[in-house]
Amino acid sequence: MFAAVPAATLIGVEGHRVTVEVHISNGLPGFTIVGLPDEVCRQAKDRVRAAIVSSGFRWPQKRVTVNLAPSSQRKMGSGLDLAIAIGVLIADDQLPHGCVDNHGFVAELGLDGSVRPVPGVVPLVAALDGLCPVVAATSRREAMVISNEPVRVAHSLREVVDALRGDSPWPDPPPDRWVEPIVAVADLADVRGQALARQALEVAAAGGHHLLFVGPPGSGKTMLAQRMPGLLPPLDPATALTTTMVHSAAGVALPAGGLITRAPYRAPHHTTSLVALVGGGTASLRPGEISLSHGGVLFLDELGEFSNNVLDGLRQPLEEGVVRVARARASATLPAAFLLVAATNPCPCGGGAPGACHCDESARARYLRRLSGPLLDRFDLRVPVHRPEIDELLLGDPGESSTVVAGRVAIAREHAIARNGCLNAGIPAPELDALAPLDASAKWMLRTELERDRLTGRGYHRVRRVARTIADLDPLAGETVSEAHVVMALQFRVRLTPLLGGRAA
Amino acid sequence: MSDLADQAYAAVLAGLDRMTVGRLDLLISGRPAAHAYQMVMGDRPPTGLIGQLFDTNGLLATWRAAALRRPPEQMWEECLRLGITVLVRGTEEYPSMLSADPAPAPVLFMRGSFTGLTGRRVGIVGTRNATASGRDIATEMSRELATVGVHIVSGLARGIDGCSHRGALSVSGGAGPIGVVASGLDVVYPREHTALWNAVAECGALLSEVPPGTAPEPYRFPMRNRIIAGLSEVLLVVESRETGGSLITATEAALRNVLVMAVPGAVRNRAARGTNDLIRDGCPIATDARDVLVALGLDTRRAGPVAYDPRLRPSGTDAAVLAMCCEPRTLDQLAVSSGLALAECAMSLARLEFHGWVRQISGWFESTSGATTRTGARW
Repeated sequence: MFAAVPAATLIGVEGHRVTVEVHISNGLPGFTIVGLPDEVCRQAKDRVRAAIVSSGFRWPQKRVTVNLAPSSQRKMGSGLDLAIAIGVLIADDQLPHGCVDNHGFVAELGLDGSVRPVPGVVPLVAALDGLCPVVAATSRREAMVISNEPVRVAHSLREVVDALRGDSPWPDPPPDRWVEPIVAVADLADVRGQALARQALEVAAAGGHHLLFVGPPGSGKTMLAQRMPGLLPPLDPATALTTTMVHSAAGVALPAGGLITRAPYRAPHHTTSLVALVGGGTASLRPGEISLSHGGVLFLDELGEFSNNVLDGLRQPLEEGVVRVARARASATLPAAFLLVAATNPCPCGGGAPGACHCDESARARYLRRLSGPLLDRFDLRVPVHRPEIDELLLGDPGESSTVVAGRVAIAREHAIARNGCLNAGIPAPELDALAPLDASAKWMLRTELERDRLTGRGYHRVRRVARTIADLDPLAGETVSEAHVVMALQFRVRLTPLLGGRAA
Repeated sequence: MSDLADQAYAAVLAGLDRMTVGRLDLLISGRPAAHAYQMVMGDRPPTGLIGQLFDTNGLLATWRAAALRRPPEQMWEECLRLGITVLVRGTEEYPSMLSADPAPAPVLFMRGSFTGLTGRRVGIVGTRNATASGRDIATEMSRELATVGVHIVSGLARGIDGCSHRGALSVSGGAGPIGVVASGLDVVYPREHTALWNAVAECGALLSEVPPGTAPEPYRFPMRNRIIAGLSEVLLVVESRETGGSLITATEAALRNVLVMAVPGAVRNRAARGTNDLIRDGCPIATDARDVLVALGLDTRRAGPVAYDPRLRPSGTDAAVLAMCCEPRTLDQLAVSSGLALAECAMSLARLEFHGWVRQISGWFESTSGATTRTGARW
């Protein structure tokens, strides 16, 4: 008359264990689901009834009550279908009690009794720790990423019931095709010229510095940004798992191996809403683009065209590496440690070069004022990009390939982490003197920049961090940061001062 | 009302709605402005032509309403408060070179002193959206001209205009600049030029055709340009687009037999396309203040010795990099054409920038004033 079946539901990117309790009693035939199901979950009633009947089982003509415990927590999606069906069959004595003790169920049911995959299998299975997860055949790889117990797969409700009764073994998993598809990672060698921008990419990758490209249309900003993930090292195991969970929860296709090991690259369009970027939604708390780019690169093309509230929403996650999304019904903390790469035109007409642009000064200032000062301040690297000369485009030798640069980046990152415990972008200001000591001429250089009011106090620290990374990448450099490194760091900090109405930027 | 100065009535008439230069000229030429004012108010019978004028399209009613809104006493009190002198054509204080103008301003409003209007005058005009080198040239030339006592006439707009005024003001004891503006003398446009505007009024003269309180409507600017042309003995166009206000000024100057000179620019520089077009049409070239002084017929030996330049002269690679910066270049371009590594090139530019030879604006490097002269053939 009563059954309890383990299952899980998703809040944000975290799975939470849910016990599906089914009670069948005499009375008018009926089917009720309680325990805060959402609309999709409530509709499980019809799916489950149809699946049970069309699989050749009997639907109990009695009063069926399903409680999803803990009942104060919202339950979402169709991932509880299979657990409810199994619970009904146990409570109706069509399955023996105790047959589900070591199993957890994460799948949706079709009206024909087929078992279908649901998004978020990785975090859901994580919540079923210690139990054998039962999932749809196509979810097996995702489940295997996280599960310590054997993963059971099934194609239909019939197969699940037969296996639970012990009538037949669990179906064999589908044959594995562990062939990694050849992922066409954009190579830095395709970029002709653009020496400064190439080096900026290298520095950003090595130090974890956020990067802004300022340049006219057609100067290759997007092309450069697409090469960024190829320069980053593979994700470390913890980050890989978190990123995989986020992607799984958002229902984004995972790579063939199941686990995301390469740095993700997300490039949302500039009409993207705040919720789509940061995450949220009224009840579902779906991860946004910033969480999907956790551990990788978030590229915002046409930064000035994003609406202001969207850009300001980026500021807190940029500082903290996580985003806390709270709604009336639920709240969640989503991972959001990403490398921000952005591109903007220097002015509305995009001409860029002195004399070529036909915007007047006030229009130019208005355009750049859209990028609020605090956001602009988060970019350690603000790099001018110019249209390459025709000769460079046609005759220029291909530059270094991504592999070569990624090798240097990996060494510099290891070195920085061994010294600071974090990437250079994260060095706290008070520790700069110890971790990034300046030699005499470098100090003097920065001093004159400050005296001429071309550098703010915060800008000073940012330049020092960038100079530290440049020194880490320089094979000839010692542990001190020299004048040449500081000069390069200043080159990566293009002054928008004359365009910003005299404010030092 | 007869104890008010005649200028008060002229000022009121100049500020009426739908007033044009031709109508104002018809109203006040050959009679005291007070009489014309009485005709408008109906206190005196209009003469034949003026009567015809009043009949056109409700003009008289518009004028009467406008004149009642701002009576002569109020206008006069306002002018006195703002320190504005009203100059009426035909009177003694009206600038003589404008009396013979083909389209003279019947009434002029002036802040500042009159002396500039009797000295030697050169107009300097150009685009509002100038390159850094254009601004430098305007500043430098006006400074040198003001040093030898030539008054600079310009329009106080953004870009070249503003730079020429600043250049003239930077000389202590130099000739005061003359600013001709399109709005009322108390309506500063552009707003960021408030300080410059006041400095010009203090050291030289600020002129306008319209009474205080008039907004800078777009159609007033071409009208303003004819006064700049009329006041100049030589008009120098520093940088101009293929269309634009400075070319209107040049046309007005040509109409008045004022010599137009142009500063040549790089062929691909959009901001110099208008000036290069002028040169193709036969306009003489000015590359420094001496060319302008020769055109004015002034003794160029009074220009004095070249000032001592305290900047450390670059040598070696720095000099080579500096020579490449004669037009705006990017770090990438400079590294490629000098054959230096990116970091070396950046070091070189940092040294040049420190000593003031090069300036960087959003990633573009450009040499500052004097760099070409002093590293080039002249030294």
